[in-house]
Amino acid sequence: MIEKRENTSIIPGVLGKKEKHLRDSLLQQILNIPGGESIKKCIQCGCCTGSCPVSYMMDITPREIIALFRAGEIESILSSRAIWICASCYACTIRCPQGVQVTDILYALKRLAIDQKIFPKRFPVYALSESFVSLTNRFGRSYEPGLILLYFLKTNPLKLLGLVPLFLKLFFKGRIGLLPKKIKGRETFSRILREAEIMEMVVPVQES
Amino acid sequence: MKDNNNDIKIGVYICHCGSNIAGTVDVEKVTNLAADAPHVVIAREYKFMCSEPGQDFIIKDIKEKGLNRVIVASCSPLMHEPTFRKACEKANLNRYLFQMVNIREQCSWVHKDIKSATEKASALINAAIRRVVYQEPLETFKVNVNPNTLVVGGGIAGIQAALEIAESGNKVYLVEKKSTIGGKMAKFDKTFPTLDCSACILTPKMVSVAQHENIELLSYSEIEDVEGSIGDFKIKVRKKARYVHDNCTSCDECTKVCPVQIPNPFDENQSFRSAVYKTFPQAIPNTYVIDKEDRPPCRETCPIGQEAAGYIGLVAQGRFEEAASLIREQNPLPIVCGRVCYHPCESECNRKFVDEPIAIKNIKRFVIDWEMNQYGGPKPPIIEKKRSEKIAIIGSGPSGLACAHDLALKGYEPIIYEKLPVPGGMLAVGIPEYRLPKKLLNSEIDYIKGMGVSIKTGIALGKDFSIKDLFKQGYKAIYIATGAHKSLKMKIPGEEEFVGVYHGVDFLRNINLGNSQPVENRVAVIGGGNTATDAARTALRRGAKEVTILYRRTRKEMPAEEAEIQAAEEEGVKIQYLIAPVEVLGKSGKVVGLKCINMELGEPDSSGRRRPVPLEGSKHDLGFDMVIIAVSQSPDIEFVDDQTNFKLSKWNTFEVNQETLETNVQGVFAGGDVVKGPATVILAMGYGKRAAEAIDKLINKKPMRDFKTHINKILPERDENSRPHSYAPKFKDTLKKPRIKMKELDPKTRCTNFEEVELGFSEEEAKQEAARCLNCGICIECHACERVCEAKSIDHNMKDEIIEINVGQVLITTGFNTLNCNSLIPYGYGEFENVYTSLEFERIVSSTGPTQGNIVMKNGKEPRAIGIIHCVGSRDINYHPYCSRVCCMYALKFAHLIKDRTKAEVYQFYIDMRSFGKGYEEFYSRILEEGVNVIRGKVAEVAKFGWSNNGDEPLIVRCEDTLIKKYREIPVDMVILCNAIEPQPDAEKIQRLFSISRSPDGFFLEKHPKLDPTATATDGVYIAGCCQGPKDIPDSVAQASSAAARILANISKEEIEVEPIQAYIDPELCAGCRLCNNLCPYGAISFDEEENISKVNEALCKGCGTCVASCPSSAATAKHFSDEQIFAEIEGILE
Repeated sequence: MIEKRENTSIIPGVLGKKEKHLRDSLLQQILNIPGGESIKKCIQCGCCTGSCPVSYMMDITPREIIALFRAGEIESILSSRAIWICASCYACTIRCPQGVQVTDILYALKRLAIDQKIFPKRFPVYALSESFVSLTNRFGRSYEPGLILLYFLKTNPLKLLGLVPLFLKLFFKGRIGLLPKKIKGRETFSRILREAEIMEMVVPVQES
Repeated sequence: MKDNNNDIKIGVYICHCGSNIAGTVDVEKVTNLAADAPHVVIAREYKFMCSEPGQDFIIKDIKEKGLNRVIVASCSPLMHEPTFRKACEKANLNRYLFQMVNIREQCSWVHKDIKSATEKASALINAAIRRVVYQEPLETFKVNVNPNTLVVGGGIAGIQAALEIAESGNKVYLVEKKSTIGGKMAKFDKTFPTLDCSACILTPKMVSVAQHENIELLSYSEIEDVEGSIGDFKIKVRKKARYVHDNCTSCDECTKVCPVQIPNPFDENQSFRSAVYKTFPQAIPNTYVIDKEDRPPCRETCPIGQEAAGYIGLVAQGRFEEAASLIREQNPLPIVCGRVCYHPCESECNRKFVDEPIAIKNIKRFVIDWEMNQYGGPKPPIIEKKRSEKIAIIGSGPSGLACAHDLALKGYEPIIYEKLPVPGGMLAVGIPEYRLPKKLLNSEIDYIKGMGVSIKTGIALGKDFSIKDLFKQGYKAIYIATGAHKSLKMKIPGEEEFVGVYHGVDFLRNINLGNSQPVENRVAVIGGGNTATDAARTALRRGAKEVTILYRRTRKEMPAEEAEIQAAEEEGVKIQYLIAPVEVLGKSGKVVGLKCINMELGEPDSSGRRRPVPLEGSKHDLGFDMVIIAVSQSPDIEFVDDQTNFKLSKWNTFEVNQETLETNVQGVFAGGDVVKGPATVILAMGYGKRAAEAIDKLINKKPMRDFKTHINKILPERDENSRPHSYAPKFKDTLKKPRIKMKELDPKTRCTNFEEVELGFSEEEAKQEAARCLNCGICIECHACERVCEAKSIDHNMKDEIIEINVGQVLITTGFNTLNCNSLIPYGYGEFENVYTSLEFERIVSSTGPTQGNIVMKNGKEPRAIGIIHCVGSRDINYHPYCSRVCCMYALKFAHLIKDRTKAEVYQFYIDMRSFGKGYEEFYSRILEEGVNVIRGKVAEVAKFGWSNNGDEPLIVRCEDTLIKKYREIPVDMVILCNAIEPQPDAEKIQRLFSISRSPDGFFLEKHPKLDPTATATDGVYIAGCCQGPKDIPDSVAQASSAAARILANISKEEIEVEPIQAYIDPELCAGCRLCNNLCPYGAISFDEEENISKVNEALCKGCGTCVASCPSSAATAKHFSDEQIFAEIEGILE
């Protein structure tokens, strides 16, 4: 049975409009990764999946992600949980017999997902990731009450109420504070982050 | 030529090569530009210049337009230069007036931009137009082809090629590095896909090689040097010593008695073999080999070359009788040596880099003690013929006795003259009873006497007789070994004055001879040698209450044996370091003490020890009742009279020829301490043995050279990173095992008597200590094999030979190596015992392998499941990017064999199944039918199962099953790694020797990957088999046959045309500086003494241009590559 899908075009050799847009944005990201080109050399051996300590929890395997990318199915990658499960241990990258920068490619995919706002259903890990990163960038270290607040505001604000008793218990035992702790030299830290973002071309360089 | 440039008529032909060139280069534009260039008469373009009509253009234009230069711009000259040269020659144009421009590989194929590609093509053509003006006609010449061929490497490819060439009636030299031909194929049990027995198809070919009259097999040999070029190569081959002669009958008796066991490389180190071995039963040649790397250091450093490692190896196996006879073969005084030898062997023992040296001296003592207990002493040797020549030996010390012993073995009946009342020299009067009991010494001397030696004691040379007298009495040779018995004086005030000052050797002599020798209460012994410790311990035993040794350096520099110093300390002897007496103090004619001065250590002196320097203002008095000065001895040479003028050194030692021990007096030899100064027993014995050989040579009127007796050698530097032999771990990785200490008498009671202090080893202790030996150099030279060999084939003195052969062509078939799996950490090789490499598993399944073909784990159980991992180090940019080509198929073969012989489940982990050959896909299909699990996915890692019940510890193979898109963990008992094929480790050496190239993967580079896969860029050198790239047996054999055909084609031509592109030295310009003579890598330039210029030998010159570049007067030029041609070319490009 042939299922007509929105993404596929009927013109030979031409991708659907949305898929083409995704592919172009992703390629731009991947080409910024040193060695990112090697994604073309993948021989689909699955050594990445075998090396991955968390692949058993992924709905699609790292190898499959590359296969889907080649097959013009980037949207199905972005709507899978796999890229958000990666624990960044880089075992796949080290063992890859073709030098594919698997972990870095997964990061590129995560950025693409955030840019395009395409996320897996009922799996708001990206929200946790976003919240964590924004707080760490601000204070230079993790700020737990803020993280909980931000995460649940983004995903399920009602659940926050249920957490109040636990919070109080932790608070009175001195396990959790109210105010964030900041690091010294936050200015410098944000400059470093800014530079890193420019280097990764996450943000366009602004002419001053 | 240069002045009639106007006559030059150039034709330029530009090829489209279909769209290969024309697609990127604007051919028309290039042609028009070329047509306008100077001297160009015609410029044409054509679709395919290499076609018949294309060539006809050239021929026609030469004839009609009178062209005298032709340029074709097309593909690489490697492809079609010969085609166009032939076309020019058809039109009677010399082939060196033709020039080819490569605008395909170097232009159109590598560029995309039409404009710049066109510009580049035009520049290249312009360069040729400028160059060709200066080109000159050259004549090719021919060289004769030597019909002999060298095949390097005796694997299946080498065997195949050698047989094919030999069958044609031409001679083949087959050089093989290993001791047998057969290569890797000999290790296999079955071959894919037909599953025929590898040995069954290989060994008939091996036998044919051995039997073929046209094949000269040089096994256990390596190429040393290659000279010459196609038609006439001169090859030097090193034929390594096998230590077994060709008359070996392969009876295998030797391996049964060899005490050495080393990992067997043929079984991939999964079994053990002896040092003397035959690789496998059908090995060709049939002769055994002894694996001998370096000689063991214990033997090398021993002055008499005692093969200590040999008897230690025998002792470790409890073969004491053989050990005793081995010791006696080389050592005339084993009882003495087992007790008092200074054992230089132990100082050099390699075990010292692991923990402590082997107790060699103690093991020797045990063996000889055992012999005496068992048989009451040695059996007298059989001496074949008696000799009547009279030989006199002066001195019955260790040197004299050793000399007498060896002479007696040769049939002489020497007479020893001894000045002292007892025989034995220093052994009798210098060494105390508690170290060497007199009874034992006398039994040693009696044994020597029993061999026909007579000893006359109490007769002194110089007093009772003279050298002249001896010659008058008809003695043919005299050996002077009178030792160093004279004590040296310290020359300090009071030394001669007071009663109670004695000298070390005099003191010991008096005690040993039973002469009266008073001993006082407080005794000072001055000195740090063995004489000092002997004197101190003797004084203690003679009733001294307090004995103090005064030594001017520190303990580290003390020359006495460490064991002796320790024993003295245990007995209560005090030792003061960094102190020296300056005066003997006395009162009423008797000693009352010493005035001493403290010392400190300064710069090292000539002996390497730090020189003691007196400390100012540290003089002090010490109280003693008796002083024994034991600083040193010198030879007592009172016997030297006016009648015989011996040449003496300033230390009163004899000056002798160090090799022959001859003195300046004809027929008189000297050795031992009288030559060397005070030294050791074993060194003195070394002199004695050498003297015996020299005397025998003198009497038999043989030339005084080629001495067989050993002289201690200086050993090369080693450290904890060295190995005793190539199969052993590094010293630092060797298992530590402490040295066994010999039991001694209790120090408290022993110092009151003269009982022997050391009690000897028990059998068990001796075996344990001997088992610590590291088998340095593999063969330990126990000569057990020699004794059992009925064919008398074994010769431990065999030497490497260099053989020179002349051949016309060379075929290299050096094969491959497999990737070392230790670097693949995730696969657990080396860590988990049931992870095997493919070759290891080949041996496991082989019926001649370590398990006789039973597929079992290391614990002997049959595996329940086996994982076979493909692409281990192949198709992996971290190791080898290429596919090893054979792994898929042998992995399937393994699967079949496992299924055939066990009930185990088999999992194949593959990335892509490559079953490309004839019958291979069918084989794959057959294996699938047999129920083998094939999982598509590269294994990420092999791990141990986290926990175990009942000691069952399977391995876990982690991978993605890519076809079901799932991560899987598969439990198996055994893992086989199909590790990559890689170039031989010595590929670089072969590459240099034969000046061939290698591709980036390290394999030898063929001339053309498709059209000339067996030739190399060097004429006359061919390659076949896996040295060119991974391939299976059918392909190797096919390639070998094809190489043989290429070689035979040249042989049948008898002559080969050689390019005349050579150096030429202009005699007008040559200044005769000879700079080029030595630089020429082919030795083609010689100096003409008459004309005073250098000349090139055209038969040898390869046209490399080294001489051209080096010539200071520009007299040397390279034909076809002259300076003006090259400059014109460069200018053409830059124009």
